[in-house]
Amino acid sequence: MEGWSVLDGKYGRREFLRLLGLATLAAAVEAGLPLKAFAQVRVLEFNTLFHSGDAQAMERIVKLFNEQHKNVQISLTQGQWAEYYAQLFASVAAGNPPHIGICHTSRILDVYRALTPLEESRAGNLLAIAGIRGENYVKSVWDAGVYRDRRYLVPLDTHMWGLWYNKDLFRQAGLDPEKPPETREEFERAADAIKAKTGKFAFHPAEDALPRKIRRAWEILFWGQGGELLTPDGKRAAFNDERGLQALDYLVSMIHKRGWNQPGTDGFKQFAAGQLGMLLAGNWYFPTAKASGVNFGFHYMPKFFQKPVTWGDSHNLVIPRQPARVPDEMLILAIKTIKWINEHSDMWGIYGGHIPAYLPAQRSKALTESDTWKIALRKFADMAKRGWLHYPLIHEKAPRIHAAIEPFIQEAYNGRLTPKEALSRAEAEVNRVLAS
Amino acid sequence: MAFILPFLALWTLFRVGPVLYGILISLSHWDPFGSTTFVGAENYLRLLRDPRFWEALGNTFEFASLAVPLIVSLGLVFALLVYGAQRMRWVRVVEAALFFPYLLTVSIVGLVWRWLFDPDFGIVRITAKQMGVHLPVFLNEPRWAIPAIAFATTWWLVGYRMVLFRAALEDIPVELYEAAQIDGARWYTLIFAITLPLLRPAILFAVVLTTISGFTAFGQVLIMTQGGPGRASEVLALYMYRIGFDYLEMGQAAAVGVVLFVIMLVLTLLSFRWLGYGTEL
Repeated sequence: MEGWSVLDGKYGRREFLRLLGLATLAAAVEAGLPLKAFAQVRVLEFNTLFHSGDAQAMERIVKLFNEQHKNVQISLTQGQWAEYYAQLFASVAAGNPPHIGICHTSRILDVYRALTPLEESRAGNLLAIAGIRGENYVKSVWDAGVYRDRRYLVPLDTHMWGLWYNKDLFRQAGLDPEKPPETREEFERAADAIKAKTGKFAFHPAEDALPRKIRRAWEILFWGQGGELLTPDGKRAAFNDERGLQALDYLVSMIHKRGWNQPGTDGFKQFAAGQLGMLLAGNWYFPTAKASGVNFGFHYMPKFFQKPVTWGDSHNLVIPRQPARVPDEMLILAIKTIKWINEHSDMWGIYGGHIPAYLPAQRSKALTESDTWKIALRKFADMAKRGWLHYPLIHEKAPRIHAAIEPFIQEAYNGRLTPKEALSRAEAEVNRVLAS
Repeated sequence: MAFILPFLALWTLFRVGPVLYGILISLSHWDPFGSTTFVGAENYLRLLRDPRFWEALGNTFEFASLAVPLIVSLGLVFALLVYGAQRMRWVRVVEAALFFPYLLTVSIVGLVWRWLFDPDFGIVRITAKQMGVHLPVFLNEPRWAIPAIAFATTWWLVGYRMVLFRAALEDIPVELYEAAQIDGARWYTLIFAITLPLLRPAILFAVVLTTISGFTAFGQVLIMTQGGPGRASEVLALYMYRIGFDYLEMGQAAAVGVVLFVIMLVLTLLSFRWLGYGTEL
C-alpha cells in the first residue's frame, strides 16, 4: 500500500517539551496506567459497530455520560459493522483492546475467547460488583449471553427486520396507507400496484443489498417454511431442499420476473429519496427514515410462507479480554459504565430505534410515549413477543458458513446463477467449510 | 560497513524479522488466543485445495494486468504532455490537478468512486443516462467490477507516476534533442530513440512500485465492492484479510501473504530482467 509522511515542522525547545509531555501522557493512557499522577480523569475506550442512526444515538448516550461524570470519560469509536469483529480480534490479540465493546448474541460462539467472563474475571464477579441482575433484562436475551457456563454478554437490545413503507406512494397506488400488507397476497398486490401506478420502485427486499443482507432476506423466506441452514448436529448443510429453493426462487422473481426493483440497488437510499414503495429493513433505519422527510410507516414482516418470521439478533455490551497491565479498577469501571448505559437505554430506543433489553428502560415513559415507539418500536416489540424473531446461525464457524453462502445467493439475486445452481454450489462450499 | 550497521540492524529488525516471522506463522496453526503448533506445509496445501484462493489469485492477476500498465503508461503520457507544454500558462494547474488524487487516502478514493458509480444516484450513470447511454451497474457486474476498481486506482495513483517521469525528463540533456533535430529526427524518433531509453530507470522504478501496489490492492476493493458481486472482485489481499481476521485462521492467511510475496518478488526480478540488470533505481 502506498503512503507518505510529512514530518518537517520546526520546533523550539518549549514546543518540544510540551509535545514530549503530551506524548508521555498519551503513552500512559495507552498503557492503561493509573493516571492519578497526571490527572484525575480515567478514560474508558468504547468501540462499537454502529454506523448509521444508531451510531448517533450511542453518541448521545456517551455525551450524557461524559457530562455527568467528571472523573471518568468514555472515548467512543464507532465503525463499520463488517470490519468490527476483525478489529476486536486484532486488538485483543495485540494486547490493546477497548475497555468496552459490543457483541451480537449470534457471535458468542466464535467471539467468546476474546471476551472477559464477567462472573469470573480477575477483578472478581463483575456483575455482583456492579449490581447487574438478570431479572432486569428480557429473559431470552439474558439467557443467551452464556457460553459453556460462563457469562460474557450483558444485553443492550433486541433488533430485527420489518416492513417500512412510503405512505404517499401507497396513496398514489390506490392503497390504504393505514392498512399495510400482512399476507403474501396483500403484499404482492401492493407491490404490483405501486409498480404500475407510481412508476417508482415497488419493493426492496434487502436494505442496501450487501451480500449479507440479501442472505438475510433469503433466510427470512426460508425460515418461514421451517427451514434451517444446517442439520441439527451442525455438521452438514440443510438448505438445499425444496424450501430453500422456493425461498430463493421467490426472492429472485421479485427482481427479475415481477420487476419490483433492479439488482445492485440500495434500498436505504431509494427509500430515503422517496423512490421506493416498500423496504425490508431493520429497526435501526428509523432515524434515517425520519430524517429523510419521507411520509413513512412501519409494519410487521408480512407472512410470506407458512409462518411469520423475521431476522433478528441482539447487541450486547462486553468487556474484551484485557491484558495484565490494565488494572482491575478499569474492569470495575467498565462494568459500572455498562450498567449506566443500560439504565439510560431508553435513549437507545428513542434515538437508535432498538428495543432496549433492560426492562425498566423498555417500560420507561420517555420511550413508550416517543414517536419511535408509536411508529415502529411497538410493532417490533410485538413481533418479538409473538416469537417471530429468528436468530441467525449460532455456530463456531458461522462467519465462514455465511461467507460461503452469500456470494451464491447474491449471484442468483443478480440473475447470473439459477437458484438451483446457487444453492448447490453454496451447499458444496458450506460442507467443505464444515469438513475442514 | 560500520556506517550502514545502524540501518542494517533496524532493517533486519523491522523488515526482515517480520517477513521471517510471517513465514514461520504460515507453517503453523497460529492461534492468537491460544497455543501455536507447527503444521509444516498444511496451510499451503489447504490453500491449493481452496477454490476461493484460485478465484482470488485470478482476480488479482486480472486487476494487476489492467491497473499496472494503465497507471504506468498514463503516467508517462501525462508527464510527456506536461513536459511538452511546460511553457503554457495553465500547465502547473493541470499538473497539480493530476497529482491531487494521490494525496487522498485509499478510503476516500474508494468512497468517492463508489458514490460516482452508484446505480441509483451516481453521477456517472445519471450523466450517461441523460446522454442516452445505458451503462452497466459497474460495481455489481462481475465483468465490470475489477475494471471499475482498476480505473479508480489509476485515477488515484497516476499523478505520482507522472511526477516521477516528469522529474526524470528534466534530467535528459536538451542538447541530445537539439542534435537529433538537426539530424532531421521527427518527434516519435525523439521519444523512442532518446526519451524512453533514458527514462528506463524511472520506468523500472514505476513498474516495480505499481506492480507491488497492484498485487496488494486491498482498501479500494474492500470499500468499493467488498470483493463482490459474489466473489468476482475478491483479490488475494482481501482474501488474506478475511481468512486472517474474520475467520482467525492466521496460519493460512500468512501462507497467502507468502504467496503474494513470492509473486511480487518474481515479477520484480522479471522487471529487472526486461528493463536491464544494469538499470539503477
